[in-house]
Amino acid sequence: MKKKNKICTAIVSIILAILFISPFYLVLVNSFKTQKGIFSDVIGLPGESFTLNNYVEAFKHLDFIKSFTNSLLITVFSVVIIIIFTSMAAWMLVRTKSKVSIFIFLMFSASMLIPFQAVMLPLVAMAGKIHLLNPVGLVFMYLGFGTSLSVILYHGFIKSIPKEIEEAAAIDGCNKFQTFWIIVFPLLKPTTVTVSILNSMWIWNDFLLPQLVINRPEWQTIPLKMFYFFGEYSKRWNLALAGLVIAMIPIVVFYLAMQKYIIKGIVQGSVK
Amino acid sequence: MKRRKLLALTLAMTSMLTFTMTGCGKSSEVSSNDKSEKNGKTEVNIFQFKVEVAKELENAANEYMKEKPDVKINIETVGGGEDYGAALKAKFKSGKEPTIFNVGGPQDVEDWKGKLEDLTNEPWVGKVLPGMLDGVTMDGKVYGLPFSVEGYGLIYNKRIFQAAGIDGSKIDSYAKLEEAVKTIDSKIKSGALKKDFPKLEAVFEFPAKEKWVTGLHTSNAALGQEFKSSIDSYKSKTVDFKYSEGYKKLIDLQANYSPNGKSKEKLNAVDYSTQVDQGIAIERVAIVQQGNWIYGGVKAIDEKVANNLDILPMSIQGGKEDCIPVGIPMHWAINKNQSDKSKAAAKDFLNWLYTSDKGKDFVVNKFFFIPALKGYENYKPQDSLGKAIQRYIEAGKTTPWVFMGYPTAWGENVLGANIQKYLSGKMTWDELVKDSKAQWESKRK
Amino acid sequence: MNKDSRKWFIIFVAPALFAFIVVVLIPVIMGIIYSFTSWNGIEDKANWIGLSNYIEIIKDDKTFFSSFLFTAKFAIVSVITINVMGFVLALLVTRGLKISNGLRGIFFLPNLIGGLILGFIWQFIFTKGFDFIGAALGIDFLRGWLADPTTGFWGLVILMSWQMSGYMMVIYISGLQNIPDDIIEAAKIDGASDGQILRRIIIPLVSPAFTIGIFLTLSNSFKLYDQNLSLTAGGPYNSTEMIAMNIYNSAFKYNEFGIAQAKAVIFLIIIAAITLTQMYYSKKREVEM
Repeated sequence: MKKKNKICTAIVSIILAILFISPFYLVLVNSFKTQKGIFSDVIGLPGESFTLNNYVEAFKHLDFIKSFTNSLLITVFSVVIIIIFTSMAAWMLVRTKSKVSIFIFLMFSASMLIPFQAVMLPLVAMAGKIHLLNPVGLVFMYLGFGTSLSVILYHGFIKSIPKEIEEAAAIDGCNKFQTFWIIVFPLLKPTTVTVSILNSMWIWNDFLLPQLVINRPEWQTIPLKMFYFFGEYSKRWNLALAGLVIAMIPIVVFYLAMQKYIIKGIVQGSVK
Repeated sequence: MKRRKLLALTLAMTSMLTFTMTGCGKSSEVSSNDKSEKNGKTEVNIFQFKVEVAKELENAANEYMKEKPDVKINIETVGGGEDYGAALKAKFKSGKEPTIFNVGGPQDVEDWKGKLEDLTNEPWVGKVLPGMLDGVTMDGKVYGLPFSVEGYGLIYNKRIFQAAGIDGSKIDSYAKLEEAVKTIDSKIKSGALKKDFPKLEAVFEFPAKEKWVTGLHTSNAALGQEFKSSIDSYKSKTVDFKYSEGYKKLIDLQANYSPNGKSKEKLNAVDYSTQVDQGIAIERVAIVQQGNWIYGGVKAIDEKVANNLDILPMSIQGGKEDCIPVGIPMHWAINKNQSDKSKAAAKDFLNWLYTSDKGKDFVVNKFFFIPALKGYENYKPQDSLGKAIQRYIEAGKTTPWVFMGYPTAWGENVLGANIQKYLSGKMTWDELVKDSKAQWESKRK
Repeated sequence: MNKDSRKWFIIFVAPALFAFIVVVLIPVIMGIIYSFTSWNGIEDKANWIGLSNYIEIIKDDKTFFSSFLFTAKFAIVSVITINVMGFVLALLVTRGLKISNGLRGIFFLPNLIGGLILGFIWQFIFTKGFDFIGAALGIDFLRGWLADPTTGFWGLVILMSWQMSGYMMVIYISGLQNIPDDIIEAAKIDGASDGQILRRIIIPLVSPAFTIGIFLTLSNSFKLYDQNLSLTAGGPYNSTEMIAMNIYNSAFKYNEFGIAQAKAVIFLIIIAAITLTQMYYSKKREVEM
């Protein structure tokens, strides 16, 4: 790329980056202030209201080690299960040109439009009856809710895989299972990365569903614990913001790690 | 490559299976409606909304369980402060009905009547202060135990008043209130108060974004003199707005002497936090219309300011000018459909909480509640606002909370919304009264 | 399909489909049934009242349709801003700059904050931040945001765009990386300018991503609730109340569960018609490799 273009791109990117990050400045700066400091002066640096206590308190109140483990287990299991089953389903739906297949795909698409509040009560009523109100049930629900988005994503990109490769594998004696897992799935890496990032995002931060399904102290995830900072009238922003920063670190680390994977994927993909 | 994938898959499946075992194990422990015993203990499940007292409530439960080892109390608190109603409905729908839950006023009692245990013969009923059970009494039966008494009025900063040469305790009429406001306002504008209160910019802060403040609380000051109780407003098919002028004056006073006095539509973006945390707590304003519940929040910001607060009456010109509205925000209710053992244990716990010495200590000194019962002579509120409320109650200078009897969502979505229109000049006061009346009537047809 | 293919079809599709049916489809159907009743969300029994709810909504409920229009306006504007932004960001971070990794992280961060906290931060930015700047620079337009419907609307748009652009960026990155380098190399050798490459090659080949991006933004915008609640609470005077909030209030504030479900059904039908039409046309334009 020409040098001038590179510099232009860099400048534009940096300006945008500053705009994007400015709200985080507010989060970070205020997480180090006392409650009084936050409300006296929301914009400025901590100065005399500087305190590290918020982080200590937030860590304690969030029961961080336990809630982190809960969030981690739920998110990881859900995402793995979603990846396995939705990639399989999407592949079969793309390769099978039938009315059933189109119908199922459209049904998945249409369900993305349903606001959660509309299904909340019937879902909970049914879940209670079939013993789904526990962490395993929650993972199952995430598969159900995550199916639509993930299938749509996989569906779009499976089309870019030439059928000839699959046909060659079949001729070599692979059954559908082997064809998918050995040949197709590795080629879907960028999409799998996308699917895992997007799903882990909303599952990690999800509040409403866990509140309905696993709101017991030993099962609570980080968002559930965070909401204890918000009472009827008193919102403990100093703790909430520190808690937010703590909660964000794992997911940021995960995201950055996955980003490196995408770059590896480019290299492998271009050697296709 | 193939083997590694298979291995990974197998590992995943095995751990899922283990997860399932533990998950299933736990879920069969959790009782359905009928099973109330676990390890031989009677289970009482509390589902409550007030995050601020969650920790201390758990401590109270632990104390109780020391005395009654055959009872196990589990407390679930709905965080976020909002939408307790939605969470409660979901809880019931899921089949894991709580033993003890919360109801507000007549509308809640009506909605949940199929699930409410009759508490008329409970030992504490006779001890409740007069009028305080009105919100949960239907057809002569009592269905709830009052959480606490709350009151609201024009909370003011005594130090600022002193500096302006005003004695807040002498204000007992609208005329005196208006005069005091004008005095402080002129001193702010002249810069006389700037040295001691550098952040002070206006007399009031008015959170028109919070429709419960304007549509429920401010309105109650006026409508609470028209209706006798929340049952009265609940049954009424019409609303007169008898004291509409006085109501208007209170709103105009707060709006005109707020930082946005000259562009009142901007008040529609002012929220509770701006009014309290960034308002009175940091001495940016001198008076806010709020209640004794703000004490904890203000104390967390500036304890000195919190301890120097007192309350002026919600003067309704032409009506009662020296009273504050006082009432019960929430009640404890017991689920009728639980086992007899659970219900008995629940009733006993609530009774213990509000009538035993240990319980009273929790209620007043740890929850910071003002109890609605007699027998708390040795347990007086310790915080500045609680003391103020107590003072008004003892002097008999209170009006009742009737807003819980308003038609569903009328207070916030009709009246509160109309006040926002009024402040932005999109509606005149007469139109506001006319429309609000009409909507009340249509909801009560 | 022959018997063998059918067996494979079931094996592959069944798990996801089963979860979907249990967790999404059945509650939706139950919801539809409730829409024909006068259920209040609490009682164990619900009375069948046929189409009454639907008729009442269409005849009497002005708020439902005004919420719908507001939401539609919001969705259309947001789809444009978010997808353009997302695509631009994706382009910027795939140019091979050294700072690309860091940039990717930064642009994606907004997606990590949700709900109440997001609303608080932006509420603060719009009411106090803008006010501060406006007072300092004498720009009156910046003062008093969120107090009227227009600034409420744009406040929501800005918030959503900020939060979702990074999300869309991830999808577009994926799409951009599926374009083999040799095609672009070939075009450059043929003398094509960057602009031509962008228009003639990149955009058409990324169109599956566009289909998804537009669909996702449309559906997320229509479903928006948390940010609506925490930024404007639907105000002032219910003017920025979006459809999810309207439905939610019917169910939980007004205790009219049957009506809420009926609203949800009407909403779903209209939206499904719009977005499925959009998907159909987009898919027709997609280029298969």
